[in-house]
Amino acid sequence: MSLFVQQILNGLTLGSVYALVALGLTLVYGILHIPNFSHGALFTVGAYAAYVTAGQLGANYWVALGAAALVTALVAMLSERLVFSRLRDSPPLHDMIAAIGLLLFFEALIQAKFGAEFHRVAAPYPGIWQGLRQATGLVLPIQRALIIAGAVILMVALHLFLTRTVTGSTIVAMAQNREGASLVGIDLTRVSLLTFAISGALAAVAAVLFAPINLVSPGMGNLVILKAFVIIILGGMGSVPGAIAGGMIIGFAESFGAFYISTDLKDIMAFALLVVILSVRPQGLFPAPAR
Amino acid sequence: MLACEGATLDYGSYRALSGVSVRVERGELVVMLGANGAGKSSLFLAISGLRRLRSGSIRLDGQELAGRKPSDIVAAGLVQCAEGRKLFPGMSVRKNLTLGGYVHRADPKGSEAILERVFGMFPILRDKQHDTAGSLSGGQQQMVAIGRALMGRPKVLLLDEPSLGLAPLVVKQVLEAVQAINREGTTVLLAEQNAFAALKIAHRAYVLENGRIVSEGSPETLLADDRIRKAYIGA
Ligand SMILES: Nc1ncnc2c1ncn2[C@@H]1O[C@H](COP(=O)(O)OP(=O)(O)O)[C@@H](O)[C@H]1O
Ligand SMILES: [Mg+2]
Repeated sequence: MSLFVQQILNGLTLGSVYALVALGLTLVYGILHIPNFSHGALFTVGAYAAYVTAGQLGANYWVALGAAALVTALVAMLSERLVFSRLRDSPPLHDMIAAIGLLLFFEALIQAKFGAEFHRVAAPYPGIWQGLRQATGLVLPIQRALIIAGAVILMVALHLFLTRTVTGSTIVAMAQNREGASLVGIDLTRVSLLTFAISGALAAVAAVLFAPINLVSPGMGNLVILKAFVIIILGGMGSVPGAIAGGMIIGFAESFGAFYISTDLKDIMAFALLVVILSVRPQGLFPAPAR
Repeated sequence: MLACEGATLDYGSYRALSGVSVRVERGELVVMLGANGAGKSSLFLAISGLRRLRSGSIRLDGQELAGRKPSDIVAAGLVQCAEGRKLFPGMSVRKNLTLGGYVHRADPKGSEAILERVFGMFPILRDKQHDTAGSLSGGQQQMVAIGRALMGRPKVLLLDEPSLGLAPLVVKQVLEAVQAINREGTTVLLAEQNAFAALKIAHRAYVLENGRIVSEGSPETLLADDRIRKAYIGA
């Protein structure tokens, strides 16, 4: 029984992390039609930013989380300014090549600075989770609870921001009709910077929440970004609910697949599911409204 | 008020506009006639800053618009209700209209008053304000598009084929609304293929063919011109 509960907990945890990463990816895709592979690097940058602030400078975990979100949002905005905004009138393939280039660039940069080895980001409240672990037999329940709660809070906040605020509606407007948005005076540059900033911050928060139970390394974003793409294809490219549902589906498939089938097959689960679901529903689970 | 001079626009090697000059004086309702593919939308999109001119100038009250961002152009008082409406289909009618007042977001009271005016002009929109724009009929969507443009508080309003694809009765209603907007003081430039209906409400008109202005004059002169009657009215 406790093993089953542990799998549910694992599934929710993984699903939360994947959903946060996929949300940023789907927002950028929905608005700018950029398949942003470098989003995986933002995940890594976020984790290292926390490693530096918490691990090396000795800051509190929550301070490190905030710093990582800020730094990563800035890096994302910079990549929009220096790379993607310059490719706005180029064929879509150029965006994709540039994004893959950026991913490799960030990975190499981080490796040059911090080395290829794994690093740790300590969990907050170590005393409490030690105690809980002994009491319940579940692995790291506090950090998992933090991940799940953090993801839920961010998703609700993002939803309220997009639907209830004027600035948030400019993002939705741009996604639903780009020329229409320009014609009411919404500035594409502003919206696209804002979208990149949000996507960077979400990736960083996901990475920092996940870091205490998953080591930090230069290539940590690569598998995550591939899975995030699977998720947004599953959920419907550009769809916010799709990213959340897709993230949870993949999270649960991995956690239960690893337990009931084989741990070796864990990372293949996402891709197998992709093939199965798309053969039944080629438009994805929540196709975005027609543009 | 709006003066376009020598506007030239290329799509790759294809010249869509060559040396187009158009003037619209304050308070006028000017119609731009032209068959499908003549370049009406290209001209309008260039005026709104969504297409870049190869050469030529576009002035609003003497102020150069060419090369400026679409958002600056809207803020300067030139608002377009584009062909195909370009609404936000998943948002409510009310939200579409509110976003039309985006550049005036510092003055929500003023926007509220214009929203009331729009609802007064198109009462059906008040009833449907909580429905998504995409769920409305074509005519109702056109009303949302016009209303959204009005929320931008235009000094000059560009309307690109608002009657396209609508039933005759709805066309009449839409064009009457355009005339009413003009009478309340907004300068209007209206692109139409529907020459007969458009000339009835126009003060002046231009005829655009293959990216060039080929004729200009009062509705009476254009209606009296056999060549134009043949090409645009079919009589
Ligand atoms: N984005 C574009 N790329 C290439 N050609 C275009 C584009 N938009 C319009 N055209 C061409 O330019 C010409 C004028 O089109 P348009 O301005 O839409 O005319 P109208 O609005 O009068 O029907 C047409 O031949 C059309 O095919
Ligand atoms: Mg047109």
